[in-house]
Amino acid sequence: MKITVELYGASRDFSSESFIEINLVNNSKIKDLRKELIKFIDNHHAGNENFRELVKAAAFCSDKNEIIHDDYVISKEQKIAIIPPIGGG
Amino acid sequence: MIHCDILDVKKEKINISKAQKFIASSKCGASLFFMGTVRNENNNKKVTGITYDSHDGMVKKSFQEIYEESKKKFKFETITIFVEHAKGYVALGEVSVLIAVACKHRKEVYEVSRFVIEEIKKRTPIWKKEHYEGKETEWLKGNPVVNQ
Repeated sequence: MKITVELYGASRDFSSESFIEINLVNNSKIKDLRKELIKFIDNHHAGNENFRELVKAAAFCSDKNEIIHDDYVISKEQKIAIIPPIGGG
Repeated sequence: MIHCDILDVKKEKINISKAQKFIASSKCGASLFFMGTVRNENNNKKVTGITYDSHDGMVKKSFQEIYEESKKKFKFETITIFVEHAKGYVALGEVSVLIAVACKHRKEVYEVSRFVIEEIKKRTPIWKKEHYEGKETEWLKGNPVVNQ
């Protein structure tokens, strides 16, 4: 299934688009998505260490604006936002 | 009572008179306005502006949650909060965030205002890209969201 990962903050530098698409097997978990994103960084950004660290430190958010944890099961094709470490104000 | 929003600065600037009108009440004897502005230096670099990025849905939700928690935490008779944060490029000296609080007493507005800005820093998904002299830019390293 295809997951659209919406990019925010420093993760916007992952792509010229505002999102990237990741293919996952059905019923994958957020921790699987995290692994696939690290593969994406390795393939598209030569393993950029800052990007890898960002993915490891990031949270993820559902299309219902809720933070979803590493064991959350992604049951259908959907949009998920990556939430890098924050710092507004 | 709360008003909260994230403003695209290309369309609308943060406006203190809007906040004044919202929090005005004869029930409240104290009002406090906190403004965050873009500073000219950070980490020994000369800053020329900041681009703010936001997850709008989560930002508004977090503002609401912070308001509800402030009511539970402080149990003051009246708490009125106006909070707006900028999104997009904000130049040096311009306002990035405005928090206006009205309560019955002065001690209360100081406590609530401080609580609101500290919670925004901890949990509201807003990111800063600093612009420096010489056109260099850098996303600032933030803190992982607290409820991760």
